[in-house]
Amino acid sequence: MFELTRYDGRHRVRGGIYLSIGLSLLAAMVIWVYPSFEAEVDLDQLLAAYPEPVLQVMGVQTMASLGGFLSFELYTFGWIILLGLYLAYATAGAIADDVDRGRMDVLLSMPISRSRVVAERFAAMTVPIVGANVLPPIVVYVGARLIDHPLAAADVLAVHLLSIPYLFACAGIGLLASVVFDRAAIAQRVALGVTFALFLSESLLSGTDAEAVGAIAPMRYYDPNAVLLEGTYDLAGAGVLVAMTLGLLIAAQLWFSRSDIP
Amino acid sequence: MAAIELEGLTKDYGEVLANDGVTFDVERGEIFGYLGPNGAGKTTTIRTLLGFISPTAGSAQLLGRDITDEGDLLEAKRRLGYLPDSPAFDETATGREILDLHASIKGDERSGELLELFQPPLDRLVREYSRGNVQKLGLVTTFMHDPDLVILDEPTSGLDPLLQQRFAKFIRAERERGLTVFFSSHILSEVRKLCDRVGVIRNGRLVTVEPVESLLDRSGKFVRLHAAESIPTRALEIDGVHGLESERGAGSSAGSSDGTEYAFTFTGDINTLLERLREYRLLDCTIEEAPLEEVFMRFYGDEETDAGSAAGDRVPAGTGAADDGVGGDGDV
Repeated sequence: MFELTRYDGRHRVRGGIYLSIGLSLLAAMVIWVYPSFEAEVDLDQLLAAYPEPVLQVMGVQTMASLGGFLSFELYTFGWIILLGLYLAYATAGAIADDVDRGRMDVLLSMPISRSRVVAERFAAMTVPIVGANVLPPIVVYVGARLIDHPLAAADVLAVHLLSIPYLFACAGIGLLASVVFDRAAIAQRVALGVTFALFLSESLLSGTDAEAVGAIAPMRYYDPNAVLLEGTYDLAGAGVLVAMTLGLLIAAQLWFSRSDIP
Repeated sequence: MAAIELEGLTKDYGEVLANDGVTFDVERGEIFGYLGPNGAGKTTTIRTLLGFISPTAGSAQLLGRDITDEGDLLEAKRRLGYLPDSPAFDETATGREILDLHASIKGDERSGELLELFQPPLDRLVREYSRGNVQKLGLVTTFMHDPDLVILDEPTSGLDPLLQQRFAKFIRAERERGLTVFFSSHILSEVRKLCDRVGVIRNGRLVTVEPVESLLDRSGKFVRLHAAESIPTRALEIDGVHGLESERGAGSSAGSSDGTEYAFTFTGDINTLLERLREYRLLDCTIEEAPLEEVFMRFYGDEETDAGSAAGDRVPAGTGAADDGVGGDGDV
């Protein structure tokens, strides 16, 4: 078991490390600019200058604390949007790319079931998902202390841990696209489009009559503001994300087991 | 129990009837050649056998296991080696990493000797491999777990003549050890060298299954004559002469004298032919085994019309419609 996960996982290690370093640099930069930003800009005035939809999309609640600032500059932008899209995109290639390039025949000629191929490939996404969350929390925690705006270690840890089920759910969207479309390029575009549309539907529709639509968006169940500003950890939301991920995984397995490999 | 059993296997893509009621058995321990031109449906049969596509109708068994039951088929795959018509491996990995993955999933009994025989460059990235090198790596992954049955789709394409020879020798030795080989080809000399029996497929339908010798017997001789003076064509109108061509090109009016060089395929009694030729002075005469391409033409050239009527208004595989539909490689 897990031979394919081990193989794929090894091949994703380098990408995971780059991801972790890149996001750490982003975190360091955001923390580094915060003191001058706080000192020189009237933050309430700045907030008031932004149109409401922009604040809503970016998940801005306050800039008057490092937690609020990080929450949108780093976590909404870096994790919810960038990483979410990246994982949907990367996972969309997991099956479709092999089918596209004719490698699936070789793989499936071995004694390995189709649903196992899907599950093992998906499991290998643990490497970039967890990898992206290894270095940045340390940078955030240490950086916050260095600029004298310390954050609770538990909150920093929680905001990263809770992002893991969120990122798996985004990867799940990519996985489903990967089995439905046998051309990798199309699967990847669809995965990006759907993930971004879900993000917009959740952030733009909240507070409107159509708010219920956002309930299918993974973004609803991961809220960095709640963690960093209020110290509340939405475990039920994490549970929903896990259920969503499993649902997407099972749907992808069923689809792939029943379709012809072109 | 046969190694492979197909019973009325049909794959209908709507526009293309890629396999139409294909029925035959491959016995254990034999080398079975599956012949047909590109687009005839060879790859469809093979990919259905391996469970990559599901049959529209009919059934098949691999090593006694039902191919439409995934669990059953997985059991068969433990003892099966498969080389697709254009094998592809992860380009970002080295050959060695690919072999390690295959070994971890299906086991490794003999990769050492196979690597000595086929010598793919293991430490290079697959991205840098030539087509021949990919094929060599494919041969190692096909045989490394010492399977009971191997299915090879156009196995020698991409191999240089030396390796083709080495491959043929290897396959024959494996057969001696009890291996069953099912391979597809459109290269007839290869089939002739290797096979015990041959199945010929055309437009998705199995045309014939027979021992390779009887195919050769029926195929007749290829005769080339160079006469001192012209022979009237009607003198050569005897039973068993096919595709008579003379020096001035085919299709010149019958009965007239047509130059001095003649070529035709002959399936009749060779004595009748020699009897007839005695009255003419020949400068040269060669009688050789017909190239299998000619035999092929006989299978494919004759019944041009019947498949069309049987398939109704649909276009059978192998004709133009195969290009825009399924498959992509033209070989559906």
